[in-house]
Amino acid sequence: MSYRTTGLGDDPVAFNEGTSLLVSGASMTVQERVYDVLGGANDDEETAILISTDRGVADVVRSFQERGAFDAGRLGVIDCTGRDGPESVQGAPVRRLGSPGDLTGMSLEFAKLVDRFEDAGAGDRARVGLATVSTVLMYTDVRTAFRFLHVFTSRIRSGGLFGIFAMDPGMHDQQTVNTVRAVFDCEARIDDDGDVDLRGSGFRTA
Amino acid sequence: MGSEQPTVLVVEDEPPLVEIYARWLESEYRVRTAQNGSEALEQVDEDVDVALLDRLMPGMSGDEVLAEILDRAPDCRVAMVTAVEPDFDIITMGFDDYLTKPVEKETLLETVDRLLERSDYQRLEQEFYALVSKRSALQAAKSAEELSTSEDFAELEHRIEELETELDTAMGDVDDGEFVAMVRDIEAEGEDPAEPPDGETDPFAEDVQDGADSDDSPGGGAR
Repeated sequence: MSYRTTGLGDDPVAFNEGTSLLVSGASMTVQERVYDVLGGANDDEETAILISTDRGVADVVRSFQERGAFDAGRLGVIDCTGRDGPESVQGAPVRRLGSPGDLTGMSLEFAKLVDRFEDAGAGDRARVGLATVSTVLMYTDVRTAFRFLHVFTSRIRSGGLFGIFAMDPGMHDQQTVNTVRAVFDCEARIDDDGDVDLRGSGFRTA
Repeated sequence: MGSEQPTVLVVEDEPPLVEIYARWLESEYRVRTAQNGSEALEQVDEDVDVALLDRLMPGMSGDEVLAEILDRAPDCRVAMVTAVEPDFDIITMGFDDYLTKPVEKETLLETVDRLLERSDYQRLEQEFYALVSKRSALQAAKSAEELSTSEDFAELEHRIEELETELDTAMGDVDDGEFVAMVRDIEAEGEDPAEPPDGETDPFAEDVQDGADSDDSPGGGAR
């Protein structure tokens, strides 16, 4: 079963299970798009896990609520902004990491959240967001980030999940952007007017 | 690894289990056995590729033995054998995978196989990154026309595609434990200053320089 979204332009798009999408464009815009796509999980078998490097969990929850897409039993947040706080916000599980450079911590908490949702009977279909790859790149070298993303997208493919990764190409040199791009199945380029250019494989437009 | 059979060390304090595991493994691997921590340390050297380690042995704890094994054979992959399903936290302690008792033959052989494959994967992955980063440098520096007429670039593209397929095969299905273990290793290597920096990008520094000029030329923009 595919992952449908109306968050990428006027026409609905259906992503195949296991696909990883890069959303590229200006920083604020791409983050909003990641929330649009993550929040589009409208079937009861889907959960959403967001790894947030920029927004603290309170803002994350608010962003989901604004979209009418907040479901405490189906959202998990890994807050990498270094803020302290409780282990759940409005009922949704929260994991906290000290830094967006803690890749092992991210993978560990991700694995635990997937496990937790499965144990709770929330199903094994999940949309997984990372907002943003650009921030991760400020804390680690390109090679490490590339290898991390490669293993992460492999995990997403094996699990039949749907990965949504945000990057602002304006923050990096062209070589870095091209290198990171190579990891993903498809890319949605968002221009300054908000128009979306979707290219690559792993999806169908309706 | 070449044609040599990989070596597996079984550390388990129950003799019947040692015997069974060894019998299952013997057809494909060289097998060493140990019934406690100190015996395990006598058996460990750099030839050991995979160790199966019972966490709850009398005497030295599995965690202590693990630390010693990784000290003597840093490339050795270690799977914990345990009666209770462990938390993913064992991965950050240094274990690469785990087996829950009772261990079945198929699961045991599969796990050993996957741990060995992970080394293949890492070798392929290094080449993959080097080539992708080379391609990115060229894409950033040369015009689309230049690249589309370059045989070298076409060959580079082809090899990258081949590697993608090889990597998918080598990696197989990645479960959560493996995922965490691989990220742990990637991060550890990233922090290691002894790791040679991307030597491959150096020879291209010139290319990039040359190309930067052509990018400014009127024909440079395909748009």
